[in-house]
Amino acid sequence: MDATAFAQETGPTITLLEVKDSPETRSVSFILSKTDLATANALRRVMIAEVPTMAIDLVEFESNTSVLTDEFLAHRLGLIPLNSEQVGTITYTRECSCQQYCPQCSVELHLNVRCTEDHTREVTTRDLVSSHTSIAPVLNGPNDRGILIAKLRKGQEINLRCIAKKGTAKEHAKWSPCAGVAFEYDPHNRLRHTTYWIEDDVKSEWPVSANGRFEPEVAEDEPFDYNAKPEAFYMTVEGTGALDPKEIVTTGLRILQAKLSLVQLLLKEIAEERGAVARPPMNGFH
Amino acid sequence: MANAPPTWELLLVPEGMKKITMEMDTKIPNAATFTVLKEDHTLGNLLRMQLLKNPKVIFAGYKMPHPLEHQFVLKIQTTPDTSPLDVLQHEIANLIQEVGTIKLKFENALTSRTLNPGEAPIPMHLPMRERRDF
Ligand SMILES: [Zn+2]
Repeated sequence: MDATAFAQETGPTITLLEVKDSPETRSVSFILSKTDLATANALRRVMIAEVPTMAIDLVEFESNTSVLTDEFLAHRLGLIPLNSEQVGTITYTRECSCQQYCPQCSVELHLNVRCTEDHTREVTTRDLVSSHTSIAPVLNGPNDRGILIAKLRKGQEINLRCIAKKGTAKEHAKWSPCAGVAFEYDPHNRLRHTTYWIEDDVKSEWPVSANGRFEPEVAEDEPFDYNAKPEAFYMTVEGTGALDPKEIVTTGLRILQAKLSLVQLLLKEIAEERGAVARPPMNGFH
Repeated sequence: MANAPPTWELLLVPEGMKKITMEMDTKIPNAATFTVLKEDHTLGNLLRMQLLKNPKVIFAGYKMPHPLEHQFVLKIQTTPDTSPLDVLQHEIANLIQEVGTIKLKFENALTSRTLNPGEAPIPMHLPMRERRDF
């Protein structure tokens, strides 16, 4: 058996539990087992903070006579999830050859609404017009009214131009593709990584989560195994709509791989640099 | 926001600086300190825990010296028959393999799900960690 086949037999495993793909929720649930807490946590952190998406980053106001201030509106616009399936075709502005921004590193969106009727005009993401074919505010079907941005009364208007850029949540949370990442291990607290506050009875005060069904309960007289380590990690990734949750997981893993590969490359350079200084050869290590 | 630091400050390695530097310890044998720029707990903790699994590693620890400086330092001490750089390279290779396997298995799980939807197996009991008989 070669090394890769061996790793597939003995290495980490994935059990897909649920893939939700409805207008209300888009999520993927899975069990990551036979791996380290550190690995599972690294994946969680990368999915939240390092998977790139598109988000509005610059707003130029032509006019704003609504009751909301320019800064307030600009912040709201930044947080609107934009469909980022095509984010791979966009470059980071900092890596682009242009001076400020250009079609290669940004997408322009326009919002131009004026209330002319006697009743309140609701400005939503449906009024936000994108110049790109797919990078546009996320809408779940034809019945979705969009996200409310502002309300206008008669005579008020908002006219602005937005520049959406590629980024990651390390820079600003608006670029996170995740609405939430559920992460649990050891549902029965066998490892005692947590200490419950108990008034009378643990079982009634701390109900076991749905993931409890995957692991045996702790017997009353079971001795504590202080060498035990967590092995199964229950994860649910819910997207904002910017990216497909399945895509968030695969991209997250790819980014983690790339991160490690870069370190590997740089360490090799260090090793080669020092190799010239001569070091005794390794004998039968690993 | 006139004095705000530039946003790429937490992502880009400054020109003329190396992302990773290694400093051999002058007082402790087989020990080295690696400084990794523009990386955080995601990588720091991952490397530390992986290194600690290696029996040739006597010490492995990491810290972020300051929360506003985007870098971490990783200290490794090994047994005399190897070196911190060698074990780190070895364990990085193991991690790349590990993450690669997870990615492959996740993609396989997705494909088999699309091939026979509604037949997603939900195991009631995963192979549990070995329980000891006391
Ligand atoms: Zn550009």
